[in-house]
Amino acid sequence: MAHKITRKMDLNSEDFYVEVEAPLVAERFRAGNFVVLITVPHGERIPMSIMKAEDGKISMFIKKLGKTSWELYKSLDQFEHVIGPMGKPIDVKKYGRVVVASDLVCGHAENYALCKALKEAGNYVISFQTFPTAEEVYPEEVLARPVCDEYHLTTEDGSKGEEGHYLDILEEMLESGEKIDIIFAGGSLPNLKELGDLTKDYNIPTIVTVRQIMVDASGMCGACRVFVDGEMQLACIDGPMFDAHKIDWDAALRRPMMYVEQEKIAYERCKKLGRC
Amino acid sequence: MAIKPRVPVREQPVEQRIHNFDSVPYGYNEEEAMAEAQRCIQCPDPPTCEAGCPVRIKIKDMNRLIAEGKFKEAYLLVKKAHAFPACTGRVCPQEDQCEGACILTKVGQPINIGKLEAFVADWAREHGVEEEGITEEREEKVAIIGSGPAGLACAADLRKFGFKVTIFETLHKPGGVLVYGIPNFRLPKEIVEYEINKLIEMGVEIKLNITIGQNISFEELKRDYDAIFLGTGAGAPQFMGIEGEKLNGVYSANEFLIRANLMKAYLFPEWDTPISVGKRVGVIGAGNVAMDAARTALRLGAEEVYIIYRRKMEYSPARNEEIEHAREEGIIFKELVNPVRFIGDENGWVKGVELIKMELGEKDSSGRPRPVPIKGSEFVMELDTVIEALGTVPNRLFLSRTPGLKTDRKGVIQVDDNLMTSIEGVFGGGDAISGAATVIKALGEGRRAAEAIKEYIDSKKKK
Ligand SMILES: Cc1cc2nc3c(=O)[nH]c(=O)nc-3n(C[C@H](O)[C@H](O)[C@H](O)COP(=O)(O)OP(=O)(O)OC[C@H]3O[C@@H](n4cnc5c(N)ncnc54)[C@H](O)[C@@H]3O)c2cc1C
Ligand SMILES: Cc1cc2nc3c(=O)[nH]c(=O)nc-3n(C[C@H](O)[C@H](O)[C@H](O)COP(=O)(O)OP(=O)(O)OC[C@H]3O[C@@H](n4cnc5c(N)ncnc54)[C@H](O)[C@@H]3O)c2cc1C
Ligand code: SF4
Ligand code: SF4
Ligand code: FES
Repeated sequence: MAHKITRKMDLNSEDFYVEVEAPLVAERFRAGNFVVLITVPHGERIPMSIMKAEDGKISMFIKKLGKTSWELYKSLDQFEHVIGPMGKPIDVKKYGRVVVASDLVCGHAENYALCKALKEAGNYVISFQTFPTAEEVYPEEVLARPVCDEYHLTTEDGSKGEEGHYLDILEEMLESGEKIDIIFAGGSLPNLKELGDLTKDYNIPTIVTVRQIMVDASGMCGACRVFVDGEMQLACIDGPMFDAHKIDWDAALRRPMMYVEQEKIAYERCKKLGRC
Repeated sequence: MAIKPRVPVREQPVEQRIHNFDSVPYGYNEEEAMAEAQRCIQCPDPPTCEAGCPVRIKIKDMNRLIAEGKFKEAYLLVKKAHAFPACTGRVCPQEDQCEGACILTKVGQPINIGKLEAFVADWAREHGVEEEGITEEREEKVAIIGSGPAGLACAADLRKFGFKVTIFETLHKPGGVLVYGIPNFRLPKEIVEYEINKLIEMGVEIKLNITIGQNISFEELKRDYDAIFLGTGAGAPQFMGIEGEKLNGVYSANEFLIRANLMKAYLFPEWDTPISVGKRVGVIGAGNVAMDAARTALRLGAEEVYIIYRRKMEYSPARNEEIEHAREEGIIFKELVNPVRFIGDENGWVKGVELIKMELGEKDSSGRPRPVPIKGSEFVMELDTVIEALGTVPNRLFLSRTPGLKTDRKGVIQVDDNLMTSIEGVFGGGDAISGAATVIKALGEGRRAAEAIKEYIDSKKKK
């Protein structure tokens, strides 16, 4: 049952790339889907975005964050389970001029997948990828440049590409009257909230990934509940992408903090065992 | 005639068991089982106990065989009625079923039928008793969605009929609620694993990590299989929908129990999945699920655990044994109160609940007095973890992707007398067709559906 890791490489000082055999997922993946990983037999069920799915393999970008991701980076050459594709794919159709934006690991993976699907559907796709500095920019081969029509690489300190966060550049674009029909974005939750605040004034539909802690990822536990337009929705089956203008952001920003203490314990233990 | 009292069931001492997840009852040994079975007065036919069992186990004969020390025969007899006696003996609400119907309740304590049933099953497992195999192999294929008791029971019988059977399961472990919901201290997981391994040995194929409707479409299954059984359960939690539910520290019982049981959060950090349990835990509701959540919280280190119930405990739908065990373990029952809102601290964590006192009014549709709030009786109780155990509904993921399947408003799948759904060749059983019921009901329907599926396939073949 094990899924073999066929490629692993550093993307920057924090993130790495993993390609793994998962034929069923690869065959059925659609932009907006995610997978659930169980890396080791006693592991957690960890949701992960997919960058691309080809030849029976899927590629992911993963941040070295806690126990699971560090152990995966340092010690594993296979996964116990790769489950999916889960979640609702986006509605891939012709919208017109589409922006896809990201500023963090999970967002960057989706950026590629979303651009590719939306471009194939005949949209004019403008991709933004923001990194902190030139050193932290991912290798060219995994950026969304080849799968979009207009590419904006930005660094927050201006050391490579355009200077600033995609939020700044997008704001200028909107101010200058450039027409955008819809925006898809993923990455840092606080920034996605800000994006929603910005685009609301311009009335641009804005669909963002609301990354929440998940357990079963199939609608059975309620851990991933988000409140959209006052209604309870489950990120794992109704999402993970929702309308940024309708999300209860306070709750969504708070939930991922549930296990901060325990995560530290798990990581420290794994480090002591020499696996992280 | 004086009736001897029940042979007591040895149990793990309270002080010890509240610190572990091992089985609370040790169960009967051979002598104890024989002594308990000998209490059965072998009523004239038909004995009342059997009418109380949803699958009509030949309880009287089982008791006689146990009393004579013929454990293997007793086991094979029980197995004729259903596939998982080790489970039902432990989790059936016996006081409402077989034991409640035992004639001895009129003059003393009923026969401990549940523990005797569990005993024969455990004995057979320990002694490696084998059953008869498959009679003839058949070409037709049946897909079963969901590996809970309904799906497993259906699979077992269909395989015995010779069909090729494939079970599809969303989770990474088979067993449904038996594995992800009911804690180990009530139903040890190795028992469920043993039974499932038997099915695999019989040739039932189990495909894990596949959600029908999500990873494989229902249409694909319909194309590839001669019949389908829906044993998808009622696994989606209901929430109260009150203020403060978004706070951290508020769990559904499903999430809490899935973390604890399926993901083994009680073994954290050796197992990776964390769980958060404060010092004061409030569980909303008083059914089996609530008891399981409360006792799990206690074992995870909570200092005070409250069952918060809007009626009185005598109206609780939980098994008597669970309420008794919970009481012994120090769970505190707060009756006739209902949450109005949850209260949070400055960091967005729950720190209490506002409760309103209730009084009992007229009987409602469940036959129990309806709880009515007493105006102005609100008060605040401090809590740092809340677990809502309000019942479950069918998972809408599957339903929303299965066009043509008739359900009621809540998503409960509608079936005819033969357990066939509104789609030809698609049958259903267990919680998926009843909202939320019992393990034995699911097992019984799984079996009935297997019969119906066989008939359906046979009749189609004739045409
Ligand atoms: C739809 C979705 C897509 C995601 N895509 C990516 C991705 O492409 N790349 C990536 O690096 N991360 C992604 N994540 C987040 C990823 O699941 C967590 O970072 C991962 O669980 C971290 O595990 P850990 O043990 O290394 O860290 P931990 O120390 O366990 O956790 C660190 C933080 O990760 C989050 N987290 C922990 N457990 C879970 C869980 N079971 N479900 C969701 N979040 C959790 C919490 O916010 C936590 O504080 C995604 C999450 C979701 C919901
Ligand atoms: C905590 C708890 C305690 C309980 N205690 C008792 C008790 O003491 N006594 C008693 O008699 N009853 C008890 N019950 C109720 C009993 O467990 C259920 O009635 C019974 O398990 C129903 O069986 P089922 O097979 O219909 O469904 P489940 O056991 O719910 O199994 C359904 C399975 O289907 C899978 N599934 C769902 N959708 C899909 C899909 N689309 N594709 C693939 N797989 C899918 C699910 O993952 C699950 O594994 C309890 C329930 C809970 C939650
Ligand atoms: S299956 Fe349940 S109701 Fe039937 S005899 Fe066994 S314990 Fe009693
Ligand atoms: S009703 Fe009670 S005493 Fe009579 S046969 Fe059944 S178990 Fe024995
Ligand atoms: S992760 Fe359990 S309902 Fe979404």
